[in-house]
Amino acid sequence: MALDKPIADYETVQTWRGGLSEQWGEEPDMTVRTSALERFCEFAGKDPDVLIAECTREVESGKRIRIKARREFSEKIAEFQAASGGSAREQQKLGNTIRSFFIHNGIFMQAGLSG
Amino acid sequence: MEFKEIIGRRRSIRFFDPKRPVEREKIQTILETARLASCAVNAHWLRAVVVERDKIPPEKLNQLKTPVAALTLDLAPVHIYFFVDLGIVNKIKGSRLKELVDVGALAPSHGWSHKFVDDFVYPQILEPMTRNLEGYVPAAFADAGGAAQNALLAAFDEGLGACLNTPNPMLTKQVLGVPDDWLPMWVMLLGYPAESWEAGGQRPRPDFEELYFEGEYGKPFKRDPAVVEKLKAANMIQAPAPLPGRREEIKKLTEELGLPE
Repeated sequence: MALDKPIADYETVQTWRGGLSEQWGEEPDMTVRTSALERFCEFAGKDPDVLIAECTREVESGKRIRIKARREFSEKIAEFQAASGGSAREQQKLGNTIRSFFIHNGIFMQAGLSG
Repeated sequence: MEFKEIIGRRRSIRFFDPKRPVEREKIQTILETARLASCAVNAHWLRAVVVERDKIPPEKLNQLKTPVAALTLDLAPVHIYFFVDLGIVNKIKGSRLKELVDVGALAPSHGWSHKFVDDFVYPQILEPMTRNLEGYVPAAFADAGGAAQNALLAAFDEGLGACLNTPNPMLTKQVLGVPDDWLPMWVMLLGYPAESWEAGGQRPRPDFEELYFEGEYGKPFKRDPAVVEKLKAANMIQAPAPLPGRREEIKKLTEELGLPE
């Protein structure tokens, strides 16, 4: 699935960048990160904003996380990293890059030690 | 370690060294402290099931994971599941209260006797209380919580790190096979910290006067700066988070353990 604009222009990618910058106190190099996310978007068949939007829903009291969608994307990330080739460490790092995108967009996600 | 310093050093530790086991002796010491906690009517609601991460079948470990605590369950080598035994009051029927009379902890000077327990305390107060779940359950939990707090502090006294988490009630009961009348309270994750003992510094707390009052609500209990200084000298009140270098520490742990940034 081709994105309809440069990945850095998606609001959720900007939120991710802002979150990393705030967390680590320095401007993050997004090249490798966005390249990994772009591959995941291709894998999932959705653009970055849709990935996040599908994990949440609006209710009267505010925003809620869709548990089922969050779990499905968590599994999708595990599939993605397993299918990516490379060493276990590299696979884990790739998966964690995608998890970081979700986390900084407010979608709670943990990898576990097994990645 | 001195008591005040243990209070001061306690933090919720979330980065454990996953490969360093916890000595059985230390686990027992922690449980022993819970057993000696103050306890209403000497009932002892707190129960615990100790789970060693590497000894429990992986499928059971996965069932015990919650979305928020999945990683820490992987990191901590020991998980102590605390339960509240709601059935205990009607099993002991005041007998442990009478033990307190026998050993002189409760005396006639304060109105206590076996007959008072048998005729009044159990049948008219305790047994009816167990039928009023709205009042009974929070009271039992509060009591058990105090005992678990002893255990938590003991972990730090033993040089370990610990963190309390809320388990999934249904799955925890099912996986650990506890009796029906035990309700899950907390899981205390236990291990040697992978982070420094400071863990970034003492966590932010609400202002003292916002929490405590004198005589009546609305009149804050005045905090004496001299006492604060004394507690600082005793290492109870410590440097607040974030300590310099915390961000770098988290980054290093994140890389070493292979976690998301």
